[in-house]
Amino acid sequence: MMSIMNHDHTIDIVEEELQLTLDQLCRACRAHEELVRVWVVEGVLTPIGAAPHEWRFTGASLRRARLALTLTRELEINAPGVALALDLMDEIAALKARLRTVT
Amino acid sequence: MKFQDYYQTLGVARDASPEDIKRAYRKLARKYHPDVSKEPDAEARFKQIGEASEVLQDPEKRAAYDAVGAQQAGGSGDFQPPPGWDTGFEFSGRGDEGFDAQDHSDFFEALFGRAARGMGAQRRAMHMPGQDHHAKVLIDLEDAYRGAQRSISLRVPVLDAEGRGVLQERTLAINIPKGIREGQHLRLAGQGGPGLGDAPAGDLFLEIEFNTHRLYRVVGRDVYVDLPLAPWEAALGASVAVPTPDGEVELTIPPGSAAGRKLRLKGKGIPGSPAGDLYAVLTIALPPAGSDMAKHAYAALKAAAPDFDPRASLKG
Repeated sequence: MMSIMNHDHTIDIVEEELQLTLDQLCRACRAHEELVRVWVVEGVLTPIGAAPHEWRFTGASLRRARLALTLTRELEINAPGVALALDLMDEIAALKARLRTVT
Repeated sequence: MKFQDYYQTLGVARDASPEDIKRAYRKLARKYHPDVSKEPDAEARFKQIGEASEVLQDPEKRAAYDAVGAQQAGGSGDFQPPPGWDTGFEFSGRGDEGFDAQDHSDFFEALFGRAARGMGAQRRAMHMPGQDHHAKVLIDLEDAYRGAQRSISLRVPVLDAEGRGVLQERTLAINIPKGIREGQHLRLAGQGGPGLGDAPAGDLFLEIEFNTHRLYRVVGRDVYVDLPLAPWEAALGASVAVPTPDGEVELTIPPGSAAGRKLRLKGKGIPGSPAGDLYAVLTIALPPAGSDMAKHAYAALKAAAPDFDPRASLKG
């Protein structure tokens, strides 16, 4: 993990190798555990590991989980809807990235 | 302090039903959701809409707001809540859902108390880990090439001596590491909300965003720049200077290069292991046929390429 000490605190780049347990992810995005479990079932998040206590989420899951939480709370979208919205947002992001490679 | 017309923010009448308010909020929330919206001020608007709906969808808060709003009627500009205005109202809050306490306007805080919501939930438990905080940091692409120092101001809710929630301002100096990419998060362990009792403090998460650059477009680790060429440079080959965030680089243009061709400068993208690449995307700029000499040159080119059909691809 990439860590840099400065002003006596540690900075990690979340997306580089940082892995979160279910508990850590819930705390980092302020979501209830049941909600995160539902997201895993619906494919919003895909952790490594079989049982929930073995789950490890990649750093990139944090952004997804935070997005999922806003969509759930602010727009009252249900879990399958959140999964669909996130897939579509990924697709838009990929298309935008492709646009940036051409003039 | 400016009076906030929450009804105007949501575009509803003062006597709108709860259903009307909810519907108006949903519509605007979809339009201005910062993760979805293309509007330039989406994030600010989304916060205003959220705050307006938080007040108007809560019967207690709406009643209190209406009481203050009646006194404000017709007036505009500076607003101060009348002393003791809130006697008789008790805000139970909606728990920890919804907006961060930091997101509220001064107007909201004057009416409903600072950071009232987050703290209410925390007071119940004696030992509770601090909340993780999230913020965005805007940097330039050049900062990702070299690393950068940034000072970040945070307003953090803390409990004062009497147990009331107040917002405390604090500044944090952080080093943005070289090689950071857009959308990545920095985690500053223990720099989030303070824990209660013996519990540890939360972490601070900073999402990295790049300012739009005049020249460069960024895709992950790779950087793209448009490189205009004269027709003879593209046709005959040339050596031209290409700007990169790390300074100019000489690039050899092979003869017969077409517009749209991408020439790769390996390792000249965002540094790291592996480093990204920099792509020069070729465009062709035509010199104007302003002088007789230029006109003759174009005519000579036409004569030299009698079989050239620029629209060959349009034919079936």
